[in-house]
Amino acid sequence: MMRSFLMAVALAAASTAQAQGTIKFAILGPMAFVQGENHWAGAEMARDEINKAGGIAVGGKKMQVELIRADTNEVQSVPDATNATERVISRDKADFLIGGFRSEAVLAMQEIAMDSKKIFLGAGAADARLGENVEKNYDRYKYWFRVTPTKSPDLFRSLVAILGSIGDQMRQALKKEQPAVAIVAEKTAWTEPIMKALQATLPKMKMEVVGTWQPSAVATDVTAELSAIERAGADIVFTVISGPVGISLGRQMGERNMKAVAFGINVEAQKDEFWAATAGKGNFVSTLDTYSEVEITPKTVPFVRAFKERYKKAPTYTAATYDAIMMLKAAIEQAGTTDADKLVPVLEKMEHVGTAAVASWDKRHDLIWAVGKTAGIGVQWQDGKKVPFWPPEVKGMQPFKMPAR
Amino acid sequence: MLQDILVTGLVNGGVYALLAIGFSLIFGVARIVNIAHTAFYMLAAYCFYSLLVKAGLGFAVSGIVSVAAVTLFSVLCYRLVIEPVREHESAVLIATIALALVFQELMLFSFGGHYLGIPSTLDGVVNLAGVSVPYQRLLILVVAALMLVATWALLYRTRLGLAIRATANDIEVASLMGMNVDRVAMATVAISVALAAIAGVVVAPVLVVDPFMWLSPLVTMLAIVVLGGLGSLKGSLIGALVIGYVEAITVFALPSGAFLKGAVALSIMVLVLLVRPEGLYGVVFEEER
Amino acid sequence: MYWLRRGWAELKNEVFVLPSRTAVLAWALALLVLPYVYGDPYVLRIVTLTCLFAIFAASWDLLAGYTGQVNFGHALFFGAGAYASALVSLNFGVTPWVTVWIGALVATAFGVVVGYLCQRLRGSYLSLATLAFPLIALGLLFAFPDFSGGELGVSGLRRLATTVTANYYVAVLAMLAVVFGLWLIADSKFGLVLHAIRDDEVAARASGINTPRYKLAVFAVSAFAAGLAGALFAHYIRVAGPSTLETALSFQVVIWGIFGGAATIYGPVAAVFILYPLTEWLANFRAIGELRLLIFAVIVLLVLLFMPRGLSPWVRDRIETACPRCKQRNRAWRSACRLCGAPLENRGRSAISEKLKSP
Repeated sequence: MMRSFLMAVALAAASTAQAQGTIKFAILGPMAFVQGENHWAGAEMARDEINKAGGIAVGGKKMQVELIRADTNEVQSVPDATNATERVISRDKADFLIGGFRSEAVLAMQEIAMDSKKIFLGAGAADARLGENVEKNYDRYKYWFRVTPTKSPDLFRSLVAILGSIGDQMRQALKKEQPAVAIVAEKTAWTEPIMKALQATLPKMKMEVVGTWQPSAVATDVTAELSAIERAGADIVFTVISGPVGISLGRQMGERNMKAVAFGINVEAQKDEFWAATAGKGNFVSTLDTYSEVEITPKTVPFVRAFKERYKKAPTYTAATYDAIMMLKAAIEQAGTTDADKLVPVLEKMEHVGTAAVASWDKRHDLIWAVGKTAGIGVQWQDGKKVPFWPPEVKGMQPFKMPAR
Repeated sequence: MLQDILVTGLVNGGVYALLAIGFSLIFGVARIVNIAHTAFYMLAAYCFYSLLVKAGLGFAVSGIVSVAAVTLFSVLCYRLVIEPVREHESAVLIATIALALVFQELMLFSFGGHYLGIPSTLDGVVNLAGVSVPYQRLLILVVAALMLVATWALLYRTRLGLAIRATANDIEVASLMGMNVDRVAMATVAISVALAAIAGVVVAPVLVVDPFMWLSPLVTMLAIVVLGGLGSLKGSLIGALVIGYVEAITVFALPSGAFLKGAVALSIMVLVLLVRPEGLYGVVFEEER
Repeated sequence: MYWLRRGWAELKNEVFVLPSRTAVLAWALALLVLPYVYGDPYVLRIVTLTCLFAIFAASWDLLAGYTGQVNFGHALFFGAGAYASALVSLNFGVTPWVTVWIGALVATAFGVVVGYLCQRLRGSYLSLATLAFPLIALGLLFAFPDFSGGELGVSGLRRLATTVTANYYVAVLAMLAVVFGLWLIADSKFGLVLHAIRDDEVAARASGINTPRYKLAVFAVSAFAAGLAGALFAHYIRVAGPSTLETALSFQVVIWGIFGGAATIYGPVAAVFILYPLTEWLANFRAIGELRLLIFAVIVLLVLLFMPRGLSPWVRDRIETACPRCKQRNRAWRSACRLCGAPLENRGRSAISEKLKSP
């Protein structure tokens, strides 16, 4: 037993031979899944760009970026994710941690990073508690920042803004005073506050709630739910979904030729693979999204184009690891050090123009919400293409479409 | 609403029946609790996906090739992995778990954790008693019914079926009567996995294909089989319909509790077992009495 | 001085006489000195988790291996312990040193309930029915997210100890104590009854044994240990989440248990100590790290083909033989039994001499 350990130690030490003059960024993500792929791809783009330009300037010395790829396997096992975090800190001697996706795992990973006072930039988990920790116990958790996504209450603000514009379009098209909305929210803790707020807000927006359905996040069959929704006569199916049930919903709505249009959060519909996964049945499905070829910031369009060229598909929100590294680069160059305690105040005061958003931080180290900066965009699947339609004032937007009646 | 429940429950019950009957058969004959049963279903779905979407073969060719390939592969797995440890019941158990994990990881490695979609074999919807049902679901129901009849005919109208039933009844006497019990067990494995593979091919187009798609039907299937009684085909069929309807009723009666449909189905199973420990139509086996 | 001499004599006569016992002693000592020899936090973390899972695997073995109640839903007890301890500690501000016991007791209650419900189930029915319980519990957890945190679980838990080394010792000592305790139970008269129940429940009942009561008791004991493991685990990684109830964890413990050799207690522990660090070690290699679960499953399959009864019985048969007269175990290379002096048939040696004679 001992021997296998010692061998593990020896081999691991040999495999991570210390390279001089580099700054090590550990990219933590479920590497077999789309989220992890994007974590890694975004980070690679940042690394190559920085290293090509000579590196990061730290107190007059140029340092190269070194990435450590850590498969957290967090979708399958939470302890695996914590082990990977400990490994990159104590074995690989990573300077900064970036990534994470499944909230249950990231909450545990956050603890380990804070134990060893490492800056950890979250790029995937939406749970508000990650930020609440910073507010409650600043001295311990100040090393945590969330680059993406915005926290749940802010997601809700974006959703309501987009829903308002869809609702107006519906009223005109259907000549109906009160469009009927069916809420489909996966049964998880993060959807809870959004759903409650929605039920209170929709009547004020002159929309009728015909019912709330809560399938499991991993349900593969929602036909029973959909036939009930059809019977209720819904015009809009409002989705609050992060799991694969989003694909089943899109596909099965298309199969039944439903007249209602789906909008909300549908994480699967943000991915390029969505069209194929629904076998082309996911037409008109729309969702809140992060990346598209529109000018959220001046950096968005070039980044998305370069990403598409390199990886043959569009980035999803976890590719904001790119922004995370760029942000750290800016902070390191400004502070002239990689010391975590000195970087935290610099990061806190920074306004960073990234590719996904213009980032600035609140006291929970979450993004401050603003339309056109961090609110995200609305996209809709139209005949195999993911088309951006909101916010209308941004350049490159196209109209929102509805199924023919 | 009543017609919604009736139609939805029937269609979902049909899918479950396809899976449950194969599993029940292999348990009844060879006493193998084949945890990898739904993993074969997953393999068939992936195989079908590769042939149809990647290689661009037709529906019929892809379907037949997938079922045949997965069935052959299962016989190979049986010979290599299960048969050598048949004597040790617990070893068989984890061998099938390990097999399922191997399949899952192989698929994860070669296709990634992506959710894949398979085009419908038949497009369009039909209106049944005011409920719109896609043709694909009707196809599933028809295939399920055909397969049930075919399995019944095989078991009760052929010599192989006789041998299978005899082995299921009493393996030692069957062996004494000159039946090649090992061969019968192998044939049963092939039939059982073929049923799972057919389920994979017809059901995959309404679901998403991913490396973990074997877990949730596995649990539902086990619930059905235990509910109906291990080794009883009639029990599996009735169990499948019961679970199909219980799930449909849960969704309609309790829309905000739709996620509970699995838990409700499992609770029903536990309740049935409390009253009848051998399930609805279970056979009490000699050695387990 | 007397006690030292007495202790040494005990050690010499009871431990060093058998290679397996010597190995266990060496392993326990190695665990205890590890932080002083090699205090890398990553290695300590892996060993800590290994210890917690070892408790879990051993508890499964008492229930499934000894008593034949092959539980497919053992994660229920692990999760119950984790959640109960986490919730009590967080909501009432009680120190984890108290709440881990509460977690274990709640798990025990779950064990009694499951045991009661499954009293009439036999064989595969029991396995498949028990698979359902953690999933029903998961459904309930998701139904009350305000209370359970839904998919996020209960987070922000306090640790049992502050330093890495202290946490390590908590886990190691808990593991050594619980596993030794389980082994004592299994080796006692109570354990003998459990054996009897597994081999033939009807006969056991006919001999006047109240089998339902014994089964309930063993469900309770096993759930207690599993719940303790779950509670310690939750406070160690500081989150008690739904992953502690997943089917994957239930299957994992079945694999550990059978891989190591059922009905031995030390077998599953050995299996965890081999398989868990092994999979983690594989993760260190960039090239194959993402294939580690595949490699894990293939290793399990291969080992089974050669050692269908599990790893530890196979190894033990190689290094020890049982005396044909008094059934006591002896070193494989002894020629006469250490207790009754009966000549031992030494397979290894006789096989060689057979071979020498044959040509």
